[in-house]
Amino acid sequence: MVLPHLDDAYGLARWLAGNQTDAEDVVQDACMRALASLETAIVERPRAWVLTIVRNTAFNWLAKNRPKAVVLTDDPQVLDAAAAHRDSAPDPEEALIAAADEVALESAIQALPHLFREVIVMRDINGMSYREIAAAIGAPQGTVMSRLARARARLVDKLGSRAA
Amino acid sequence: MTERHSGDLTLLLQAALDGELDAAGAMDVEGRLSADPALAAEYARLIALCDAIRTRLPRERASDALRARVIAMAQTPSQIKPTPPRRPWLLMERYRPLAASLVLGIALGAGAYGIFERPSADDDVQRTLVAGFIRGRLSGQTVDIATSDRHTVKPWFSGKIAEATTVVDLKTDGFPLAGGRVDVVGETPVATLIYQRREHQIALTEMPASSTAASSEPRRETRDGYSIFEWTEGGRVYAAVSDLPPGELDAFGAAFRRAAAAEREDTPKP
Repeated sequence: MVLPHLDDAYGLARWLAGNQTDAEDVVQDACMRALASLETAIVERPRAWVLTIVRNTAFNWLAKNRPKAVVLTDDPQVLDAAAAHRDSAPDPEEALIAAADEVALESAIQALPHLFREVIVMRDINGMSYREIAAAIGAPQGTVMSRLARARARLVDKLGSRAA
Repeated sequence: MTERHSGDLTLLLQAALDGELDAAGAMDVEGRLSADPALAAEYARLIALCDAIRTRLPRERASDALRARVIAMAQTPSQIKPTPPRRPWLLMERYRPLAASLVLGIALGAGAYGIFERPSADDDVQRTLVAGFIRGRLSGQTVDIATSDRHTVKPWFSGKIAEATTVVDLKTDGFPLAGGRVDVVGETPVATLIYQRREHQIALTEMPASSTAASSEPRRETRDGYSIFEWTEGGRVYAAVSDLPPGELDAFGAAFRRAAAAEREDTPKP
């Protein structure tokens, strides 16, 4: 049940926890929990199910080990503030984004609050559908869509305003 | 100065970007994009972003060490302790009896998923079929041709589907034929028969099998609350989707297979 989705599980943990060692701890812990609940659970969407457990484990782990790093804000004001300062002309911005290298992309994504980071990872890196993401994070599809939109707006701002 | 668009429009753009819109929605977005350069620019930036992430940040792979640990966890519970994790596994004792169940879980999973990786095409096909079923029920237009006469349905399909389709009459089994329609799976038009059971309907779709297996035993799955009964016979995949209770769908599947087998025997081989 877990093995087919181990790469997805590890990928999410890696993005949430920030480094390989911690991510592996999280995944290992999550697998134990998965085992424990496999007896009683009826699993219809294995990938979403596995990622739900990884996600919860990762958030617990972060809360315990790095309480200050967890930013779960969904505060519109914070986000609007980020959106407000976009004022450069569109074309250079688009070119800048398209030219963003691995390092810039990675640090921009790592700078997102966890709730935004996970939807970007699930959608753009793991290629999951809205419905699958909604099942994994236990939120309605509308929430998935708005978080994705905000996360992308932040990334566009950040990457589009880099000094070329 | 780039103007901000209303929230709804932004969400619509996301859905277009992620391929989550239906045809009508996609057309609507295309219309708006061509009419509004600022919106088109925003869309172009989003596309640039997603392309950049997709091409430059590949999916992570779990390390072989981690993979091995997870497999070991399932197979030999007593072997886990010698590789001490960075913090104590206080709950280990509690989980030990459960580890055995993972061995079973993996075995079952491997069976159901075909050696660890379920072909995702299969998943897409099921999604398409269930979506088709739901759409039909919502619109009330479940059939392209409404008839209870299989001798009308079969020739109707022959003008539209390359291969001959199996159409059987199950009225005596309590599943009268309501008609047929053409569904599109991937890019292939396929034949779907609609059978009636009280207020419920069953959509039975026949498709060419993609894998090499010429036949397989039926299996039943549930997806979004709908039951799917699927089997392969003579290189053709048959999938019945219904809102019937699973037991009744099993009965339908059995009846259809019986009738189809009887028909094959009647048909003289060329």
